[in-house]
Amino acid sequence: MNIEKIIDRTYYWIDENTRRTSLALARKLSRRNFLSRLGMLLAGAAAFPLLPVARSFAQNSIQEIGDPQSCEYWRYCAMSGTLCSCCGGSYTSCPPGAEPSPITWVGTCRNPVDGRNYLMSYNDCCGKAVCSRCGCHNTEGDRPVYFNSNSSTVLWCFGTENTSYHCTVSMVLGATDE
Amino acid sequence: MYFIIPTGRSIMRFLAAGFALINIQAFAQITPEEISVETMPAPGANWFISKTGNGGYIFDATTGEMQGLLSLSRYTPAVTAYAPRREFYAAESYLSRGVYGDRTDIVAIYDFDNLSPIAEIEIPNHMARLAVRAHMGLMNDGRHLAVLNMNPGHSVSIIDVLDRVFVYEASTPGCAVIMPVADSDFLQVCGDGTLQLIQLDLSGFEENRERSGVFFNVIEDPIFDRATRSADGWYLISHAGNIFEVTTDDDEINISDGWNVQPEGEEGWRPGSRAEFITAHRDLGLIYVIMHEGGVDTHHENGSEIWVLDATTRRRVHRLELESPASSIMVTQEAEPKLIVAGDGTHVFDAITFVHERSIETPGADHFEDL
Repeated sequence: MNIEKIIDRTYYWIDENTRRTSLALARKLSRRNFLSRLGMLLAGAAAFPLLPVARSFAQNSIQEIGDPQSCEYWRYCAMSGTLCSCCGGSYTSCPPGAEPSPITWVGTCRNPVDGRNYLMSYNDCCGKAVCSRCGCHNTEGDRPVYFNSNSSTVLWCFGTENTSYHCTVSMVLGATDE
Repeated sequence: MYFIIPTGRSIMRFLAAGFALINIQAFAQITPEEISVETMPAPGANWFISKTGNGGYIFDATTGEMQGLLSLSRYTPAVTAYAPRREFYAAESYLSRGVYGDRTDIVAIYDFDNLSPIAEIEIPNHMARLAVRAHMGLMNDGRHLAVLNMNPGHSVSIIDVLDRVFVYEASTPGCAVIMPVADSDFLQVCGDGTLQLIQLDLSGFEENRERSGVFFNVIEDPIFDRATRSADGWYLISHAGNIFEVTTDDDEINISDGWNVQPEGEEGWRPGSRAEFITAHRDLGLIYVIMHEGGVDTHHENGSEIWVLDATTRRRVHRLELESPASSIMVTQEAEPKLIVAGDGTHVFDAITFVHERSIETPGADHFEDL
């Protein structure tokens, strides 16, 4: 058996399986059902990169300056809570055993090293007693509770198994001039 | 011949025996005391609740004496009293293991006499859990209580406190704050710069919902989520110090023209604090606002002064300079009112002469509730 025959048989196998699967789907599902599921898939794929949780993983390295255990650290311009960097975590990681909340409030902070403004996501770490160290309450761009995406005073332990507040981290989502 | 020289131990034994005889004699003359439990009398003039992280401390502002304690959850937004039924209502939230475990949100009902829980109603576990006075409101007819939820979208739980049942959860996207008006309606502030009016029917279900026109910009100059009652409605104030009075006429929302608390040349002063910084005496038409010197986005800074404003003439009538920055204030509604101020301790002022009358030792107060 030469190589061409192997390729032909492989293509035939793929074609045949695709045909059989398509026929089986066509028997089971209506065209409208198929289109709606395809639409959901496409919309989900398009929306996924927009989610703040996903965007935070896309950040490049950022030049840092200052003390992350100080309330005056540049990332904390719209921070309200206690600093995870003083509680066994860091400005991007929760302390041991705490559960990060996927839902956050946001702010815009200027990094003095490169002079750029960064969109910040403030994630609460949850499920443990409050870590009463390094309390910090900065209100740059803070808005009242009815405008909750920019409200720092809200307890943001949503979507977590336990809803008690432990401390807060500050993640860069991206530069505002990007 | 020998002498008995008393040792230290024998002297002690002798003295102990002597004291024992004296003590037996003393007990024989006094009737043993029996422990008793106080019952709270009916609230008097200028009584108030100091709402803290572990409960509501009830004080008489005239004497400074504490009358009793309401034990509340650490997540309780507020506690309020309804005198005709002699009951207190508080929204509370508990985790079964303190900081983890099953969460249970309730409305607890306490009696006047013993300040003890006499009923509780389970509500959806969506309470906003912030110590904000306007996150809970008893409708003016005393029948239904509204509790603000965040999950993280906004909604409101309606509870029938007379029949002790949860009625339903109304979705209120983008709107927070509960300001009771008319008999069974309440207003809310919304992020699009409007007010929302929700009117309840006799059962507590939503009968009608209205929206006002846009009257502020949440980015340029937001309205605070702290509000206080006026004679006919509510006073709202913006970060820049613009005051609006809002009232309703059935399903119509009326918003007065805004006026600024800052006289010309004093634009460097702003209202605000971490807690309830605005209060009003409804009959006298006086508004009290905690003020500080600062720029944009300093709205949570505690204030070094309290400005007293005449709502009728829209002019300032007094500047009360404080020894320590204030976070929360409340004026009692009596004819001879007291101004209660929280900051470094709790302080009582005559609300008309502004004379400091006394300081009261309390744990840090989130805010105060008039009784």
